[in-house]
Amino acid sequence: MDDDLSQHYQGSPELLMFLASTVHDMKNSISVLSGTLEHLLAAAPAAALAAAPAAAPAAAQSDAQSDEPQYLQLGQMLYQTRRLNDSLIQLLALYKEVGKPGYPFDPVPHSVRELVEQVQGQARILLQSRGITFATDFAPDAIWTFDEELVIGVLVHAINNAIRYTRDRIVLSVRVDGEHLELRVEDNGDGFPPAMLGAGANAGNATRAARGAAVNFSNNSSGLGLYFSSEVARMHSHRQRHGSIALENGGVLGGGCFILRLP
Amino acid sequence: MTTIVQADGEIDWGEKRYLIIDDFVGIRQLLRESLRNLGAKHIDQAASGGEGMMLLAKTRYDVVLCDYNLGDGKNGQQVLEEARLRNLVLPSSVWLMVSAEKSVESVMGAAEHQPDAYIIKPITEGVLLTRLNRVWLKKQIFREIDQAYADKDYLRAARLCEQQIPVNPLHAIDLLRMKATLQLKAGDPLGARAVYLKVLEERDYNWARCGLAKILMHDGEVEEAQKMFQAVIADNRFYIDAFDQLAQAFQLQGKHEEAFDVLQKAAKLSPNSVPRQRTLGQTALKLDNIPVAEKAFRKCIDIGEYSVAKTVDAYFGMARVCGRKNDIKEGIRLLNAAVHQFGGDHVTLRAKITEGLVYHETGDFRRARKAGDELEAMLAEENRQRPDTATCLDMATLLFAVGVKEAPVGLLCYIARNNHDNVPLMDEVQKIFDKARMGDEGVELIRSSRKEAADMMNKGVLLWKSDRLGEAIDWMRVARHALPHNMRILFNSAQILISRLQQTGYVRELADEAIEVLMHVDAIVPGQPRFAQLMEQLAMLAPVSGVVAAAAASEYEAANGAVPDR
Repeated sequence: MDDDLSQHYQGSPELLMFLASTVHDMKNSISVLSGTLEHLLAAAPAAALAAAPAAAPAAAQSDAQSDEPQYLQLGQMLYQTRRLNDSLIQLLALYKEVGKPGYPFDPVPHSVRELVEQVQGQARILLQSRGITFATDFAPDAIWTFDEELVIGVLVHAINNAIRYTRDRIVLSVRVDGEHLELRVEDNGDGFPPAMLGAGANAGNATRAARGAAVNFSNNSSGLGLYFSSEVARMHSHRQRHGSIALENGGVLGGGCFILRLP
Repeated sequence: MTTIVQADGEIDWGEKRYLIIDDFVGIRQLLRESLRNLGAKHIDQAASGGEGMMLLAKTRYDVVLCDYNLGDGKNGQQVLEEARLRNLVLPSSVWLMVSAEKSVESVMGAAEHQPDAYIIKPITEGVLLTRLNRVWLKKQIFREIDQAYADKDYLRAARLCEQQIPVNPLHAIDLLRMKATLQLKAGDPLGARAVYLKVLEERDYNWARCGLAKILMHDGEVEEAQKMFQAVIADNRFYIDAFDQLAQAFQLQGKHEEAFDVLQKAAKLSPNSVPRQRTLGQTALKLDNIPVAEKAFRKCIDIGEYSVAKTVDAYFGMARVCGRKNDIKEGIRLLNAAVHQFGGDHVTLRAKITEGLVYHETGDFRRARKAGDELEAMLAEENRQRPDTATCLDMATLLFAVGVKEAPVGLLCYIARNNHDNVPLMDEVQKIFDKARMGDEGVELIRSSRKEAADMMNKGVLLWKSDRLGEAIDWMRVARHALPHNMRILFNSAQILISRLQQTGYVRELADEAIEVLMHVDAIVPGQPRFAQLMEQLAMLAPVSGVVAAAAASEYEAANGAVPDR
């Protein structure tokens, strides 16, 4: 442990400072980019927004929005910006060795309602701009212990991923299942390809042997996100039980389901 | 949960005053836009820490959004610390620290000045609103507890925590943590221990493991404590409090080399702590590692510049370092600087002791003796207050070493009178007599000094028991004057004053006198159960609960310096 520590710090302090300030700059740029896009989208022509409410059928939405190619393009830009941000968050966490004692892991009790509110707040404009109906389902007075930033990161990433594959609906549901908190992001798209289902299961095992499967994740575009999510899940532990992730098809909407379970 | 929902509805974020501190103009605009969407009308902005401080000095903001990384100059943490030290933020205001990534500081456990929340970019309105509501609600829950804490009515504060737990399950863990802290302050380590154990049944919180280990360490189970601190560090490499405590555990076992290693690591992880650099410097000095001692004391002086923790110890330590390097001139210059900057009889006295030590260590026995003579002259002045016990012991040791006799004997008798029932300390005093080849005389001197104190105390108790409270109060004033640092006499004195108040009803002068005595005893021996009990009795007598104690406490601190936190 002590050797680790000295290596960590004696490595190259200048490089560390340089990286830190670069990360700071990149985060600022992405913040401004995604913030500006959100404000533009929120102020976009009433026609586009009027069609967006949840009650409107999917066909009507796409009709209304095709009248507004700029609106759609802004939505696409926001989506890509969010993907960039996700990847940056994940790379940073992995660089800081999420899952190891050096990571500033901070699990404290949180209200599930506040968690859902924050995830929803981050995804709202993007979902609207893509004409996707978003629903949530949770026990408002539930309390669970977890690292808030990491879990928000995992869920927002799962939603961004679902945005790509869903037809027009996404559900975030949270429920207490015995000694676990189960968080599900489900969509009504075509579901995950069979190869991915295997990767998710491997990640979910979270045993040392299964961590070799991380190499397999990286063969597809979802690799980094899944690897990050599985590390976040594994880091949450309570009385010898660790968290896990899983990918399934089906669920309440019949499409892909991303499942995070926390002890 | 209903209270939480209600609270959400009540907060009007639109009417609050906001300050945004960020060096990046794009972020400032973005945050302003987000705040406006929450209804905010009064928003000020600063592009640097310096500009932020200027605005903070002019306006009392309700919410401060401050970037951690502010480019050149101060970082967000330093802005926060300075604002709190200069009392530029109200206890009710919310400080959100904005950062690009999860900061290590957020999990260090014992950062002296934590913001109310950390928030990571990019900030969306939803997250901002959730965090603001959360902090506001938490401040509501803790408001009364914090007030009782500030009034040093620890028992009432602990009871308030207990009452809040069932209605606020989300904050149950924070409330238990606060309760344990209060129990330790109130001299109830058993109660605190039970709380930590209860929390640890739920989850392995590092603060609870550290808290438990600290209690074990104070109970003398040092090795067990050491293992627990090491386990916390193995689990979280940034939990700085565990490093500081582990170093102390090693010190207690006489393992100074190990303590030194741990302190060096802690100072690398978090270098901007005055007490940590001071301990590192003093430990290095003990081990004759002059380069490290020098670096630590210099750093300690630098960071102390704007800190409430600024300490004269760093100057004395640095002067000792100069002595070891045979740079007497610089050492004396530092001692003069210390006297000039900190002032007061106590500092002057300690500077003179250090001067004597520096000369003695460099073999200049003539000048060392001269310092000793000057010290003796200082002590002879009637109106001068004697310093704290540790300083008295140092001084007696030095004076014997340079060949003075009467003054150190007087000092050691003074210590014996003021600590007549502290057996380990009496052994220490005896050792100093032994070293000065005065063993037999020492035994007799300590015995008679202790008897003198016991007699004074007993006379007061006798008057009290026979219900002659007026006479008892007068006698205890005499006893206090003669033995200003005797814990038993001080507690009895306060007890008798309170008994009187219970008979006659509230009398402002007597209550103030009791508070002054209690503040003094809590400053010299913190964490005594009798202190907590007497403060509670006094608070119940006061017509306006708490206010009197708080005023007296701050008066005491203004006159005598900050009362140290354990």
